Amino acid sequence: MKKGWKAMTGSRSKFGGRSGESEDGGDRPLVDRHPSRTVTLGRVQPQAPGHRTIYCNDREANAIVRFKGNSISTTKYNILTFFPKGLFEQFRRVANLYFLTISILSFTPVSPVSPITNIVPLSMVLFASLLKEAWEDWKRFLNDKTINNTPIEVLIGQEWQNTTWKDLQVGDVVKIKQDGFFPADLLFLASTNADGVCYIETANLDGETNLKIRKALEKTWDFVSPEKASEFKGELQCEQPNNSLYTFTGNLIDQKQTVPLSPNQILLRGCSLRNTVYIVGAVVFTGHESKVMMNSMNVPSKRSTLERKLDKLILTLFCVLFSMCLVGAIGSGVFLNKKFYFFGLWDPNLRPEFNPNNRFVVALLNILTLITLYSPIIPISLYVSVEGIKFFQSTKYINNDLHMYHFESNTPALARTSNLNEELGQVEYIFSDKTGTLTRNLMEFFKCSIAGEVYGAGITEIEIGVAKRSGVKLKEGISSTAIREKGFNFDDARLMQGSWRNEPNPDMCKEFFRCLAICHTVLPEGEETPEKIQYQAASPDEAALVAAAKNFGFFFYRRTPTLIYVRESHVEKMGKVEDVSYEILNVLEFNSTRKRQSVVCRYSDGRLVLYCKGADTVIYERLATGNNEIKKTTIEHLEHFGSAGLRTLCLAYRDLSSDTYDKWNEKFIQAKSSLRDREKKLDEVAELIEKDLILIGCTAIEDKLQEGVPECIETLSKAGIKIWVLTGDKLETAINIAYACRLISNDMKQFIISSETDEIREIESRGDQVEIARHMKLTVKHMLTKSHEEALQHLQTSSEVKLALVIDGKCLMYALDPALRVTLLNLSLNCTSVVCCRVSPLQKAQVTSLVKKGAKKITLSIGDGANDVSMIQAAHVGVGISGQEGMQAVMASDFAIAQFRFLTDLLLVHGRWSYIRICKVVTYFFYKNLTLTLIQFWFTFQTGYSGQRFYDDWFQSLYNVIFTSVPVLVLGLFDKDVSASLSKQYPQLYKEGIRNTFFKWRVVVALAVFSVYQSLVIYKFVAISSSTSVDSTGRMFGLWDVSTMAFNCLLVTVNLRLLLMCNTITKWHHISVGGSILSWYIFSFIYSGAFVNKGIYGTVFTLMSTGYFYLTLLLIPIAALSFDFLFLAIQRWFFPYDHQMVQEMHANETDISSSIGLVEVGTTQLNPEESRRFAMARLPREGSKHTGFAFDSPGYESFFASQAGVLAPLKAWDVARRASMRGRKKK
Amino acid sequence: MDIDGDATVEVTPEVRPTRPRRYDKFMYDFTQQSLPSCKPVLTPVWVISTFLLMGIICIPIGFVSLSASQSVVEIVDRYDIGCIPETFRGNKVDYIKDGSISKNCSRSIEVPKQMKAPIHIYYQLDNYYQNHRRYVKSRSDKQLLYGSKHTDTACQPEEYSNGFPVVPCGLIAWSLFNDTYRFSRRAEELKVNRKNIAWKSDRDHKFGKEVFPFNFQNGTLIGGGNLDPNIPLSDQEDLIVWMRTAALSSFRKLYGRIEEDLEAGDIIEVHLSNNYNTYSFGGKKTLVLSTSSWIGGKNDFLGMAYICIGSSSIVMSLIFLLIHLRTPRPYLDTSYLSWNW
Repeated sequence: MKKGWKAMTGSRSKFGGRSGESEDGGDRPLVDRHPSRTVTLGRVQPQAPGHRTIYCNDREANAIVRFKGNSISTTKYNILTFFPKGLFEQFRRVANLYFLTISILSFTPVSPVSPITNIVPLSMVLFASLLKEAWEDWKRFLNDKTINNTPIEVLIGQEWQNTTWKDLQVGDVVKIKQDGFFPADLLFLASTNADGVCYIETANLDGETNLKIRKALEKTWDFVSPEKASEFKGELQCEQPNNSLYTFTGNLIDQKQTVPLSPNQILLRGCSLRNTVYIVGAVVFTGHESKVMMNSMNVPSKRSTLERKLDKLILTLFCVLFSMCLVGAIGSGVFLNKKFYFFGLWDPNLRPEFNPNNRFVVALLNILTLITLYSPIIPISLYVSVEGIKFFQSTKYINNDLHMYHFESNTPALARTSNLNEELGQVEYIFSDKTGTLTRNLMEFFKCSIAGEVYGAGITEIEIGVAKRSGVKLKEGISSTAIREKGFNFDDARLMQGSWRNEPNPDMCKEFFRCLAICHTVLPEGEETPEKIQYQAASPDEAALVAAAKNFGFFFYRRTPTLIYVRESHVEKMGKVEDVSYEILNVLEFNSTRKRQSVVCRYSDGRLVLYCKGADTVIYERLATGNNEIKKTTIEHLEHFGSAGLRTLCLAYRDLSSDTYDKWNEKFIQAKSSLRDREKKLDEVAELIEKDLILIGCTAIEDKLQEGVPECIETLSKAGIKIWVLTGDKLETAINIAYACRLISNDMKQFIISSETDEIREIESRGDQVEIARHMKLTVKHMLTKSHEEALQHLQTSSEVKLALVIDGKCLMYALDPALRVTLLNLSLNCTSVVCCRVSPLQKAQVTSLVKKGAKKITLSIGDGANDVSMIQAAHVGVGISGQEGMQAVMASDFAIAQFRFLTDLLLVHGRWSYIRICKVVTYFFYKNLTLTLIQFWFTFQTGYSGQRFYDDWFQSLYNVIFTSVPVLVLGLFDKDVSASLSKQYPQLYKEGIRNTFFKWRVVVALAVFSVYQSLVIYKFVAISSSTSVDSTGRMFGLWDVSTMAFNCLLVTVNLRLLLMCNTITKWHHISVGGSILSWYIFSFIYSGAFVNKGIYGTVFTLMSTGYFYLTLLLIPIAALSFDFLFLAIQRWFFPYDHQMVQEMHANETDISSSIGLVEVGTTQLNPEESRRFAMARLPREGSKHTGFAFDSPGYESFFASQAGVLAPLKAWDVARRASMRGRKKK
Repeated sequence: MDIDGDATVEVTPEVRPTRPRRYDKFMYDFTQQSLPSCKPVLTPVWVISTFLLMGIICIPIGFVSLSASQSVVEIVDRYDIGCIPETFRGNKVDYIKDGSISKNCSRSIEVPKQMKAPIHIYYQLDNYYQNHRRYVKSRSDKQLLYGSKHTDTACQPEEYSNGFPVVPCGLIAWSLFNDTYRFSRRAEELKVNRKNIAWKSDRDHKFGKEVFPFNFQNGTLIGGGNLDPNIPLSDQEDLIVWMRTAALSSFRKLYGRIEEDLEAGDIIEVHLSNNYNTYSFGGKKTLVLSTSSWIGGKNDFLGMAYICIGSSSIVMSLIFLLIHLRTPRPYLDTSYLSWNW
């Protein structure tokens, strides 16, 4: 009942416009033409034909069909499949496969290195990955076990017996106590509550915490006690298991009577029981066939642009590798000659790789040899390291950042994927939803219009903004008569305290208030007094309307499935309070196609009324003739409200005769019990009664801008990010909001492409669809080209001018046509801000992919509602607002934040840092492995191209995984160019990321040049300086002495080079760099001391006994790095980066602790130390270090697990639930 | 239900006594990315002084090393061509392969400067690929240490000869260098000490004291020198030196030491037997007599490199200093910023 509510309220006063194309349903994620991934929540899979028949309470009868059991398993592997499957998963990565091939090659005789060289790093990388997999799977297994063993009471014979979830079978009758979870999808039979209702919470399914009512069939109400329940022998016919959470069709045949079943009688696995002592239900779908389980599936993750660039770099490295091998291979073919008798080439068993009689084969085999030899040019541990760094960045930094922690709602930021951290540092286009994203989605009843009279004197922020622009000063300030509470901010004494009876049309007022109090699906909770009651509503709009009714003296305080209780005061005379109950006969629920909601109720005096509220367009279509005066003025009011940025709804009623109603009700019941297309039939039936309505008036609800939105948008646009607002609002509202957000200002040149012109209206009124389309297309084309030309002109004349484009959904539809797409793109790319209004979810996604694919820019979509899902999925990065509305947006997103303004931190701080860090890590990996390999390459020339290895096997294999691995991790975690506050103070720094300054080919080539230089220095210096004896005893060095020396110098150089790359140096840098070098010494001491039959034996000791060693060790790093140092100095001196300038400007400032300002809530007496601790303590605790990046299992399972002491993966919806929990827990 | 803990709105900070304060502080600093750090900024002063410092460090070291290297006296004498009789000049390979011809050869060398004992005798080979992949691995370290039972196929084709394992096996041992040198000054024999020419670790741990040469150079092809089967491998220092394969294709190996001072102007007679075949692959053979200093043999490279690096650092430092003084980059010159203020 909640889904799509937003779409309705978003459509506002849309009178006159056609509704079809602009708002086509927000409840189902619309899949883009190029879907990047799928979210299944709510998407219906095609059903298996037929239906299942279940015999309740009769295990034998059900046994024939062999339904699946209720135990679940969400593990990916079991003991047998772990290794084959886990390894298979690992080798699906190209890098791992490459190293596997190299490892296999290294077992063949062509290999110059022992297999260890390649096996060790590969197996360490695999081991780490497999360990992680195993650990995650083990957690899942424990989770499953706990869930499967959760106790449940099942009816056996005539009594409840304890059993476990896994032993449940289809058809069993079970009892669930308050706060218990439903073990399977159940048919709701009976409850301890009167009228067979129960309340459930579906937080685990969709993140919604409001309670929902489920009502059992009247026939089954008495099966509460075990004695009675055992008598129940119903036969249940229902659909096959499917994944649609919101539908269910089935019939219950009991005692030869067929009763239709609806989703109202179904309790889904994963939901929990509230406000009910216990309920009795029959199991319908079990285990993996339950709806929630059928909804869980893995979501393929997005890859960042940088990672794709990285692939290109790796590819280039492959090319370099092959050309190096080719050079060596040709050399070896030419070199090999029988004259070198000491090679023993006369050997009868001579292998073809050395046979000078066939030089072609020699060269060919030598290619294989050299590939094995040069394989470290591809950094094996790069991917693992980058993944690890990103994991820490997202779980430790983003999720724990106090700057992105919303205290009021206790919501921290959440990185749902760690793949895209660095993408956040390169975003150029932001596509933002309006409602709930830019605005608070805290709806407040602000104004209304009853029978043509406007009530409510408040002024919205947008109106203030509009007034400012036109130069009029509006007095701001709270009037004394204004009443404020949650959902209500209304200032007009004419309606308060019963004064409405003196208004010109008191009867209409009464209808207005009753409509507000009756026509809704809100649930009251808590004490039944106006002060303490809490309204649980699917959308904040609904709650605001009910709260308004309360303030007007129509206090809705209790709901049963059939009755609504309203405490009406001041109805007849002052001071009189009366509890009235209205019988609710039918509820015609809201959905996004209907855009309205109706309730048929019967007054205690027998009067039958249909109350209806909905979008103006749909209501006006269904009004009775006459009363044109009110209709006209109401339209004016609607437009006025709309331009003030208010959300409007029309209210109408219709008196029904019992005849009409009874006839209609028959059809309604028929439709309700139909097994096929029930929803569609219900809609059709609803049409029959929702007509001839009488307009009461309209409501206007204010949705305030979120805190800090204008500042955030200003900062982001300074950072070079262009922000587009995509909204379902009408043009004026959208422009007003854009002004309020400082997206558009008066000094901007605006291009408005709107379908609301007289010309178009005239053609539309003629009704010829083909003609309309043709004309629209022409107009749009004309406007686009004209605007584009003008834009270019403006840009040529002055670079200062900023452009803004406003386009509405209908024009957009034509503008997105392939023929016009390019013009649209060119125009919009020249604009600093773009506002698209009245767009459908699909269009949102289309616009996003237009920029993503057409302009090849990095895009970010941010939204909070179901209608943003497609846009969030279409963009490179999807951000969900975890706040007021449901969780669909968050579940489809990559990052979830509580407030729009946190985007500043997410992008300018985390994104930027992450980008810089990952760039540095990647380029450093590239550099260090290239240097290692090049030294080997230079050596090859000296060995007659034979492919003799230069390094010892173990040195080479541990180079990547131990000797140089930790410092680069430290760099990737701790490097900061400028502090977080400076990052936000100078948003322009972000442009470095947009321009991709740090991972250009230029950067890579420069590093490659250094790599060549350094490798030459290291190799040549060592080779030349060791050509004579090296100490006073006159002894000479051998191959392994020289290579160890060179390796040592390489290691020191490479590790020190890292320090040159760092912007900040913490003690961890020192520890890791020192530790890495030390670890090599320790290793080499042990290694070269222990293996007598290795060439390396004793070399380190020999080396270190000479003065030459120390002289060279000092010289080579200095010589190798002085060039780098010179380069860095020149670069900073003459061509400084922006961040370097900022560094210099603030070089002498200490980094002001970032927590100041966060902890001001009553903690002034705390010292810094304590406030730090306090701040950390406030962050929601993590359940475990594990985060499920994908929907691997439904979230509710973590609850059981945590109760049983197993720390379960932290799931998105846990956070989501927490986010929406705050209202209820503060008591 | 509320498993994740709710917002604790109480003012008192939650104290977790189980964790030390330092850990808390670290975790705070870590997650908020505010770990204490220093931010080195490469300011002109830093650049100039770093280069200056590099120069100040490198130049003295360079001069010290260079002077140490300069103090070394080195005599280099290439003899592979000179020791071939005129008649065989056109056919060197035949000469060296012909066992019936005497390979003795005499050369006289003048000592240019006084040479203090010990004077190291090296033979230097060029174009000799001791680092070729096939050559390097053609040995069995285990056999060298433990004896013939550990003969390895890596030694092919010098693994077995006449059905018996060869000790030491492999191409390296088989191609053992076998030129010998004797020296005399003024008809008086100079004593050559041929002990202690190998690294201690090789002698003590890599070559077995119980392993004796066996079946060595008994094949159809003779590669190089022979070994006395009565002396254990650990005492065959020539072999040990030879088997520490060189890194480059041009290398020196220690032959022995003359433990007498040589005076400037002394004429040294070298009596060598020119046995080793470098003629078939165009290799060079050179005899080197060299004293040594603390830095080793004559090698100006290290000293020159230090001086070069050091002086170019100083030059860099001066250039930067000049730039800094003439047209200083305003330290906070915002015109370098890519955006407009």
